[in-house]
Amino acid sequence: MTFFRSIIISLITLPVAAVASAQNDAGVILRELNNKLSKAKDYTVSANIKVDIPLIRMLPVDVQIYYKQKGKFRVKSESIAIVPRQGFDQINMMVADTNAYVAMVQGEELMGDVNTKIVNIIPLTDTGEVIFAKFWVDPLQDVVIKSQFTTRNSGTIVTEYTYGSQLAYGLPDKMVFSIDTKKFKLPKNFSPQGTAPAEPAEADKKKNKDKGMIYITLTNYQVNKGIPDSVFEE
Amino acid sequence: MFWKSTYNELIKIAAKPRSYIGIGAITLIIGIILFAMKLDGESFISMITGSFEQSFSFEGKILNGNLLAYIILQTLIIHVPLLIALVTGDLISGEASMGTIRLLLTRPVSRTGILFSKYLAGFTYTLIMQAWLVFFALVVGKLMFGTGDLMVFNSSGLMVFQEQDVFWRFASGFGLSFLSMIMVATLSLTLSCFSDNSVGPIVSTMAIIILFTVISNISIPVLQKIQPFMFTSHMAAWGNFFEDPLPVGKIMKSAIILLLHIAGLLAISVYKFNKKDILT
Repeated sequence: MTFFRSIIISLITLPVAAVASAQNDAGVILRELNNKLSKAKDYTVSANIKVDIPLIRMLPVDVQIYYKQKGKFRVKSESIAIVPRQGFDQINMMVADTNAYVAMVQGEELMGDVNTKIVNIIPLTDTGEVIFAKFWVDPLQDVVIKSQFTTRNSGTIVTEYTYGSQLAYGLPDKMVFSIDTKKFKLPKNFSPQGTAPAEPAEADKKKNKDKGMIYITLTNYQVNKGIPDSVFEE
Repeated sequence: MFWKSTYNELIKIAAKPRSYIGIGAITLIIGIILFAMKLDGESFISMITGSFEQSFSFEGKILNGNLLAYIILQTLIIHVPLLIALVTGDLISGEASMGTIRLLLTRPVSRTGILFSKYLAGFTYTLIMQAWLVFFALVVGKLMFGTGDLMVFNSSGLMVFQEQDVFWRFASGFGLSFLSMIMVATLSLTLSCFSDNSVGPIVSTMAIIILFTVISNISIPVLQKIQPFMFTSHMAAWGNFFEDPLPVGKIMKSAIILLLHIAGLLAISVYKFNKKDILT
């Protein structure tokens, strides 16, 4: 009888313990991640943005990006530029506020030669744009190799990060965004002479371009040099 | 003598109050658009970029003089020719209704010469209207909103042209839109040769433009066969200069069709004006 009771108790407590363990692991990973990202109090960086999205055609543009803790982010550009809303400074903001989400390690995945830990993040508020996030974290370098944000209105945004010169601060040299474009539609009123809204080009259809890509190459980092708050004011 | 006659025709156009209706209307319409954009242009931009803004933020100056010029050109290009017809539709028929055509034709210039001097005067008036449109749309627009990259919507979707890539497109676009305006001016002049009162050719020109525009935009297979040959199908061809890659073939085709219409209508005008009975 005691044996069976032990088994039942184990069956009940083991999953709970496993979940608690996964949450603890995730907490440690994200804390380390936050520690690394927090080293960069502020930075400016030059970015080259290349867009490959159905229905949008533009040449690559150069912009200047400014970031300052906490949560101050500004892109300055002479040209018209498109910057993804999620996956840029979102990671910094998310990992900095540990009370805003529940995190759990889902497992591991080999990405290139890096054995990453997959951390699932569920925001506690149900009003935010992000409803679920997933980070592939390199536990040795404490950097995010890949992120996936599932949003309320704009589908899923997957971002891959490549690190180089600013690995010590957890700042990437290159970011590749993959964005859902199914919901994109031009308003009819603004099509030429009121013609029907543009559809993706035939070539794009053939390539099954439900996804758009944005490639951002970051150079000339200036980390912790100080940025006046006026830069972030419109 | 031809140039003297042309000069006289220009004086006549300048002396008529109706010649200033078009310029006044363009000034008013563009003024309202610029003023409204100054007040609430950002909301307008949000309406355009709305479906993208969930995923992206747009950086840089979208609302600028180049965008305003594009919007104005797109808005007015169908309507400005109607204003031009107010003047060019009156060039021959006005003389007939006032009874001055007999006196005019007693001058030592051939009928064809007189017709072409009137046509050249109408051409100049159209050029002035176009220049006024360009000045207000592009120059005043840039003074009020500054310059920058141009974001437009065309058959490819949303397209961003860099600032240095915009001027030649506008210059070429205005050139092609001028050709469509000249086409309308020629049409009204031709109709003017058939009439002895001013109202008829002007109203007929407007009716033809409206009718052809409607036919040009109806997706009925029978009509679609003739649509490529209708001048109204090519009045918005200026927009092709804001495509990438540039559809040279489409632009050339539009220009050729407009030129053929102009040549054909001019030939009819010359024939009719030379045969015109001025004695009864």
